[in-house]
Amino acid sequence: MLFYSFYKTLVGKEITVELKNDLSITGLLQSVDQFLNIKLKDVRVEEEDKYPYMLSVKNCFIRGSVVRYVHLPASEVDVETLQDHSRLEAREQKKAQQQ
Amino acid sequence: MDQSKKEEGSIEEPLDLIRLSLDERIFVKMRQDRELRGKLHAYDQHLNMILSNVEETIKVVEKDEETDEEIVKNIKRNIDMLFVRGDGVILISPPLRTS
Amino acid sequence: MSFGNASLCDEVDKKLIVVLRDGKKFIGVMRTFDQFANIILQDTIERIYVGDKYSDKHLGVFFIRGDTVVILGEIDPDKEVKEKKLTKVSWEEINLAQQAEREKLQQMEQTKRRIMTESGLTIDSILNLDDF
Repeated sequence: MLFYSFYKTLVGKEITVELKNDLSITGLLQSVDQFLNIKLKDVRVEEEDKYPYMLSVKNCFIRGSVVRYVHLPASEVDVETLQDHSRLEAREQKKAQQQ
Repeated sequence: MDQSKKEEGSIEEPLDLIRLSLDERIFVKMRQDRELRGKLHAYDQHLNMILSNVEETIKVVEKDEETDEEIVKNIKRNIDMLFVRGDGVILISPPLRTS
Repeated sequence: MSFGNASLCDEVDKKLIVVLRDGKKFIGVMRTFDQFANIILQDTIERIYVGDKYSDKHLGVFFIRGDTVVILGEIDPDKEVKEKKLTKVSWEEINLAQQAEREKLQQMEQTKRRIMTESGLTIDSILNLDDF
Protein backbone atom coordinates (compact mmCIF):
# COMPACT_ATOMS: atom_id res chain seq x y z
CA MET A 1 0.00 0.00 0.00
CA LEU A 2 3.04 2.24 0.43
CA PHE A 3 3.40 3.12 -3.23
CA TYR A 4 -0.35 3.44 -3.75
CA SER A 5 -0.46 6.05 -0.95
CA PHE A 6 2.65 7.69 -2.34
CA TYR A 7 1.17 8.06 -5.83
CA LYS A 8 -1.98 9.58 -4.36
CA THR A 9 0.15 12.46 -3.06
CA LEU A 10 1.37 13.08 -6.62
CA VAL A 11 -2.07 13.52 -8.21
CA GLY A 12 -2.06 16.59 -10.45
CA LYS A 13 1.74 16.57 -10.84
CA GLU A 14 3.60 15.83 -14.05
CA ILE A 15 5.25 12.41 -14.30
CA THR A 16 6.82 10.37 -17.10
CA VAL A 17 5.85 6.72 -17.31
CA GLU A 18 8.32 4.50 -19.13
CA LEU A 19 6.79 1.24 -20.34
CA LYS A 20 8.47 -2.13 -20.85
CA ASN A 21 8.06 -1.67 -24.62
CA ASP A 22 10.22 1.52 -24.38
CA LEU A 23 7.33 3.95 -24.92
CA SER A 24 7.64 6.98 -22.59
CA ILE A 25 4.44 8.88 -21.81
CA THR A 26 4.52 12.22 -19.98
CA GLY A 27 1.37 13.69 -18.49
CA LEU A 28 -0.44 14.90 -15.40
CA LEU A 29 -1.23 12.12 -12.95
CA GLN A 30 -5.01 11.92 -12.79
CA SER A 31 -5.52 8.83 -10.65
CA VAL A 32 -3.99 5.60 -9.45
CA ASP A 33 -5.35 2.36 -7.93
CA GLN A 34 -3.96 -0.44 -5.75
CA PHE A 35 -2.55 -2.32 -8.75
CA LEU A 36 -0.63 0.88 -9.54
CA ASN A 37 -2.61 1.27 -12.76
CA ILE A 38 -2.15 4.90 -13.74
CA LYS A 39 -4.34 7.42 -15.52
CA LEU A 40 -2.61 10.36 -17.19
CA LYS A 41 -4.10 13.60 -18.54
CA ASP A 42 -2.82 15.78 -21.41
CA VAL A 43 -0.22 13.25 -22.50
CA ARG A 44 2.71 13.64 -24.86
CA VAL A 45 5.30 11.10 -25.92
CA GLU A 46 8.97 11.25 -26.84
CA GLU A 47 9.76 10.21 -30.42
CA GLU A 48 6.22 10.77 -31.71
CA ASP A 49 7.12 9.42 -35.16
CA LYS A 50 7.90 6.05 -33.66
CA TYR A 51 4.53 5.85 -31.94
CA PRO A 52 1.99 7.34 -34.42
CA TYR A 53 -0.93 5.76 -32.54
CA MET A 54 -0.30 8.13 -29.62
CA LEU A 55 -0.84 11.23 -31.79
CA SER A 56 -4.58 11.37 -31.23
CA VAL A 57 -4.52 10.36 -27.56
CA LYS A 58 -5.17 13.02 -24.93
CA ASN A 59 -5.86 10.98 -21.81
CA CYS A 60 -4.82 7.42 -21.16
CA PHE A 61 -5.03 4.48 -18.79
CA ILE A 62 -1.79 2.54 -18.31
CA ARG A 63 -1.88 -0.96 -16.87
CA GLY A 64 0.43 -1.14 -13.85
CA SER A 65 2.04 -4.39 -14.94
CA VAL A 66 3.51 -2.89 -18.14
CA VAL A 67 5.36 -0.09 -16.34
CA ARG A 68 9.16 -0.27 -16.17
CA TYR A 69 9.94 3.08 -14.52
CA VAL A 70 8.18 6.23 -13.47
CA HIS A 71 10.24 9.42 -13.55
CA LEU A 72 9.13 11.50 -10.55
CA PRO A 73 9.41 15.21 -9.78
CA ALA A 74 12.19 15.16 -7.16
CA SER A 75 10.89 18.29 -5.43
CA GLU A 76 7.58 16.57 -4.64
CA VAL A 77 9.17 13.53 -2.99
CA ASP A 78 9.88 13.52 0.74
CA VAL A 79 12.53 10.84 1.06
CA GLU A 80 12.57 10.84 4.89
CA THR A 81 8.88 10.02 5.07
CA LEU A 82 9.26 7.32 2.42
CA GLN A 83 12.07 5.63 4.33
CA ASP A 84 10.10 5.71 7.59
CA HIS A 85 7.05 4.24 5.87
CA SER A 86 9.14 1.52 4.23
CA ARG A 87 10.52 0.44 7.62
CA LEU A 88 7.06 0.59 9.14
CA GLU A 89 5.54 -1.54 6.40
CA ALA A 90 8.37 -4.09 6.64
CA ARG A 91 7.71 -4.40 10.38
CA GLU A 92 3.97 -4.84 9.88
CA GLN A 93 4.57 -7.46 7.21
CA LYS A 94 6.80 -9.46 9.54
CA LYS A 95 4.27 -9.28 12.34
CA ALA A 96 1.57 -10.54 10.00
CA GLN A 97 3.80 -13.44 8.95
CA GLN A 98 4.53 -14.49 12.52
CA GLN A 99 0.86 -14.70 13.40
CA MET B 1 17.89 -10.01 22.75
CA ASP B 2 15.43 -7.16 22.71
CA GLN B 3 12.90 -7.73 19.93
CA SER B 4 13.16 -4.22 18.50
CA LYS B 5 16.97 -4.26 18.51
CA LYS B 6 16.93 -7.57 16.70
CA GLU B 7 14.63 -6.11 14.07
CA GLU B 8 16.93 -3.17 13.47
CA GLY B 9 20.27 -4.83 12.91
CA SER B 10 20.15 -8.49 11.95
CA ILE B 11 19.24 -10.21 8.71
CA GLU B 12 16.74 -13.04 9.07
CA GLU B 13 15.14 -12.98 5.66
CA PRO B 14 16.17 -11.63 2.24
CA LEU B 15 14.10 -8.45 2.45
CA ASP B 16 15.97 -7.40 5.64
CA LEU B 17 18.97 -6.74 3.45
CA ILE B 18 16.93 -4.29 1.40
CA ARG B 19 15.62 -2.59 4.55
CA LEU B 20 19.15 -2.10 5.86
CA SER B 21 20.06 -0.50 2.51
CA LEU B 22 17.54 2.34 2.91
CA ASP B 23 19.21 5.73 2.50
CA GLU B 24 22.23 4.02 0.91
CA ARG B 25 23.37 3.72 -2.70
CA ILE B 26 22.54 0.31 -4.14
CA PHE B 27 23.12 -1.56 -7.39
CA VAL B 28 20.14 -3.06 -9.19
CA LYS B 29 20.29 -5.43 -12.14
CA MET B 30 17.19 -5.26 -14.27
CA ARG B 31 15.73 -7.27 -17.13
CA GLN B 32 16.44 -6.23 -20.72
CA ASP B 33 20.15 -5.66 -20.00
CA ARG B 34 19.72 -2.64 -17.75
CA GLU B 35 21.54 -1.72 -14.57
CA LEU B 36 20.77 0.99 -12.02
CA ARG B 37 22.85 2.68 -9.36
CA GLY B 38 21.06 4.99 -6.96
CA LYS B 39 20.13 5.84 -3.41
CA LEU B 40 17.26 3.74 -2.04
CA HIS B 41 14.39 5.61 -0.40
CA ALA B 42 11.47 3.19 -0.50
CA TYR B 43 10.65 -0.43 -1.27
CA ASP B 44 7.85 -2.96 -0.76
CA GLN B 45 7.53 -6.77 -0.81
CA HIS B 46 7.28 -6.82 -4.62
CA LEU B 47 10.64 -4.99 -4.79
CA ASN B 48 8.99 -1.90 -6.20
CA MET B 49 11.47 0.84 -5.29
CA ILE B 50 12.13 4.55 -5.34
CA LEU B 51 15.72 5.58 -6.05
CA SER B 52 17.29 9.03 -6.30
CA ASN B 53 20.31 10.30 -8.26
CA VAL B 54 20.04 7.26 -10.48
CA GLU B 55 22.53 6.31 -13.14
CA GLU B 56 21.10 3.81 -15.60
CA THR B 57 23.33 1.75 -17.87
CA ILE B 58 21.78 0.01 -20.88
CA LYS B 59 23.78 -2.48 -22.91
CA VAL B 60 23.19 -2.27 -26.66
CA VAL B 61 24.86 -3.88 -29.64
CA GLU B 62 26.04 -1.47 -32.33
CA LYS B 63 27.87 -1.85 -35.56
CA ASP B 64 31.32 -0.24 -35.60
CA GLU B 65 31.42 2.09 -38.63
CA GLU B 66 35.04 1.35 -39.50
CA THR B 67 35.54 -2.34 -38.87
CA ASP B 68 31.91 -3.34 -39.57
CA GLU B 69 32.12 -5.39 -36.39
CA GLU B 70 29.31 -5.56 -33.86
CA ILE B 71 30.30 -4.27 -30.46
CA VAL B 72 28.58 -4.03 -27.10
CA LYS B 73 28.08 -0.44 -26.04
CA ASN B 74 26.97 1.05 -22.74
CA ILE B 75 24.45 3.87 -22.87
CA LYS B 76 24.22 5.88 -19.66
CA ARG B 77 21.62 8.35 -18.46
CA ASN B 78 20.87 10.11 -15.19
CA ILE B 79 17.48 10.43 -13.53
CA ASP B 80 16.79 12.54 -10.39
CA MET B 81 14.01 10.49 -8.86
CA LEU B 82 12.84 7.16 -10.20
CA PHE B 83 10.15 4.63 -9.33
CA VAL B 84 11.20 1.13 -10.38
CA ARG B 85 8.60 -1.60 -10.82
CA GLY B 86 9.62 -4.73 -8.94
CA ASP B 87 8.79 -7.30 -11.63
CA GLY B 88 11.75 -6.08 -13.70
CA VAL B 89 14.29 -6.58 -10.94
CA ILE B 90 16.78 -9.47 -11.19
CA LEU B 91 19.14 -8.68 -8.30
CA ILE B 92 19.89 -6.02 -5.73
CA SER B 93 23.30 -5.49 -4.18
CA PRO B 94 23.87 -3.25 -1.15
CA PRO B 95 26.88 -0.92 -0.83
CA LEU B 96 30.18 -2.49 0.25
CA ARG B 97 30.66 -2.09 3.97
CA THR B 98 34.24 -1.83 5.13
CA SER B 99 33.59 -1.70 8.86
CA MET C 1 -15.77 -1.99 -6.98
CA SER C 2 -12.18 -2.73 -6.05
CA PHE C 3 -10.81 -0.82 -8.98
CA GLY C 4 -9.89 2.16 -6.87
CA ASN C 5 -9.56 5.62 -8.29
CA ALA C 6 -8.13 4.67 -11.66
CA SER C 7 -11.48 3.28 -12.73
CA LEU C 8 -12.48 3.28 -16.36
CA CYS C 9 -15.91 4.83 -15.65
CA ASP C 10 -15.12 8.04 -17.49
CA GLU C 11 -14.10 6.11 -20.59
CA VAL C 12 -17.39 4.24 -21.03
CA ASP C 13 -19.05 5.03 -24.39
CA LYS C 14 -15.92 6.83 -25.58
CA LYS C 15 -13.76 6.03 -28.59
CA LEU C 16 -10.55 4.40 -27.40
CA ILE C 17 -7.39 3.01 -28.86
CA VAL C 18 -6.32 -0.17 -27.09
CA VAL C 19 -2.69 -1.23 -27.38
CA LEU C 20 -2.00 -4.89 -26.56
CA ARG C 21 1.20 -6.52 -25.37
CA ASP C 22 1.88 -8.08 -28.76
CA GLY C 23 1.74 -4.59 -30.32
CA LYS C 24 -1.72 -4.94 -31.90
CA LYS C 25 -3.91 -1.83 -31.86
CA PHE C 26 -7.70 -1.85 -31.73
CA ILE C 27 -9.92 1.21 -31.99
CA GLY C 28 -13.54 1.16 -30.90
CA VAL C 29 -16.17 2.42 -28.51
CA MET C 30 -15.82 0.93 -25.02
CA ARG C 31 -19.19 -0.23 -23.74
CA THR C 32 -18.24 -1.90 -20.44
CA PHE C 33 -15.31 -2.96 -18.24
CA ASP C 34 -14.57 -4.83 -15.00
CA GLN C 35 -11.97 -4.79 -12.21
CA PHE C 36 -9.46 -6.77 -14.33
CA ALA C 37 -9.65 -4.11 -17.07
CA ASN C 38 -11.40 -6.65 -19.31
CA ILE C 39 -13.35 -4.54 -21.80
CA ILE C 40 -16.00 -4.80 -24.52
CA LEU C 41 -15.33 -2.75 -27.63
CA GLN C 42 -18.01 -1.99 -30.22
CA ASP C 43 -17.45 -1.12 -33.91
CA THR C 44 -13.87 -2.28 -33.48
CA ILE C 45 -11.26 -1.80 -36.15
CA GLU C 46 -7.74 -3.16 -36.08
CA ARG C 47 -5.20 -0.58 -37.22
CA ILE C 48 -1.65 -1.43 -38.27
CA TYR C 49 1.00 1.28 -38.52
CA VAL C 50 4.29 0.86 -40.33
CA GLY C 51 6.43 3.98 -40.70
CA ASP C 52 4.14 6.74 -42.03
CA LYS C 53 1.56 4.30 -43.44
CA TYR C 54 -1.47 2.72 -41.84
CA SER C 55 -4.43 0.53 -42.69
CA ASP C 56 -7.71 -0.44 -41.01
CA LYS C 57 -9.77 -3.62 -40.90
CA HIS C 58 -13.34 -3.68 -39.58
CA LEU C 59 -13.95 -6.42 -37.05
CA GLY C 60 -17.12 -5.66 -35.02
CA VAL C 61 -17.63 -6.40 -31.32
CA PHE C 62 -14.62 -7.46 -29.25
CA PHE C 63 -14.03 -8.75 -25.75
CA ILE C 64 -10.45 -7.91 -24.75
CA ARG C 65 -8.84 -9.64 -21.80
CA GLY C 66 -7.36 -7.17 -19.31
CA ASP C 67 -4.01 -8.85 -18.85
CA THR C 68 -3.12 -8.36 -22.52
CA VAL C 69 -3.71 -4.60 -22.37
CA VAL C 70 -0.81 -2.15 -22.30
CA ILE C 71 -2.66 1.14 -22.56
CA LEU C 72 -6.15 2.44 -23.21
CA GLY C 73 -6.00 5.85 -24.86
CA GLU C 74 -8.97 8.15 -25.15
CA ILE C 75 -9.06 9.52 -28.70
CA ASP C 76 -9.40 13.28 -28.79
CA PRO C 77 -11.26 14.38 -31.96
CA ASP C 78 -9.20 17.60 -32.05
CA LYS C 79 -5.93 15.71 -32.01
CA GLU C 80 -7.14 13.02 -34.39
CA VAL C 81 -6.59 15.47 -37.28
CA LYS C 82 -2.85 15.18 -36.71
CA GLU C 83 -2.97 11.58 -37.83
CA LYS C 84 -4.09 12.73 -41.27
CA LYS C 85 -0.48 13.26 -42.31
CA LEU C 86 -0.13 9.47 -42.41
CA THR C 87 -1.04 7.74 -45.66
CA LYS C 88 -3.72 5.07 -45.72
CA VAL C 89 -2.81 1.99 -47.74
CA SER C 90 -4.47 -1.36 -48.41
CA TRP C 91 -4.57 -4.11 -45.77
CA GLU C 92 -2.44 -6.38 -47.97
CA GLU C 93 0.24 -3.71 -48.41
CA ILE C 94 0.43 -2.95 -44.70
CA ASN C 95 0.72 -6.65 -43.87
CA LEU C 96 3.68 -7.05 -46.19
CA ALA C 97 5.34 -3.93 -44.79
CA GLN C 98 4.77 -5.17 -41.24
CA GLN C 99 6.26 -8.55 -41.99
CA ALA C 100 9.38 -6.94 -43.44
CA GLU C 101 9.68 -4.69 -40.39
CA ARG C 102 9.27 -7.65 -38.03
CA GLU C 103 11.94 -9.69 -39.78
CA LYS C 104 14.35 -6.77 -39.56
CA LEU C 105 13.70 -6.36 -35.84
CA GLN C 106 13.99 -10.07 -35.19
CA GLN C 107 17.33 -10.21 -36.95
CA MET C 108 18.65 -7.28 -34.93
CA GLU C 109 17.48 -8.91 -31.70
CA GLN C 110 19.15 -12.21 -32.61
CA THR C 111 22.44 -10.49 -33.42
CA LYS C 112 22.31 -8.68 -30.09
CA ARG C 113 21.60 -11.90 -28.18
CA ARG C 114 24.45 -13.70 -29.92
CA ILE C 115 27.00 -10.94 -29.30
CA MET C 116 25.96 -10.49 -25.68
CA THR C 117 25.99 -14.19 -24.90
CA GLU C 118 29.38 -14.61 -26.53
CA SER C 119 30.72 -11.79 -24.40
CA GLY C 120 29.26 -13.44 -21.31
CA LEU C 121 27.52 -10.21 -20.45
CA THR C 122 23.96 -11.10 -19.79
CA ILE C 123 21.88 -13.86 -18.35
CA ASP C 124 18.68 -12.59 -19.97
CA SER C 125 19.44 -14.45 -23.17
CA ILE C 126 19.90 -17.75 -21.37
CA LEU C 127 16.98 -17.48 -19.01
CA ASN C 128 14.76 -16.00 -21.71
CA LEU C 129 13.47 -13.47 -19.22
CA ASP C 130 12.34 -10.99 -21.78
CA ASP C 131 8.70 -11.83 -22.24
CA PHE C 132 6.72 -8.68 -21.80
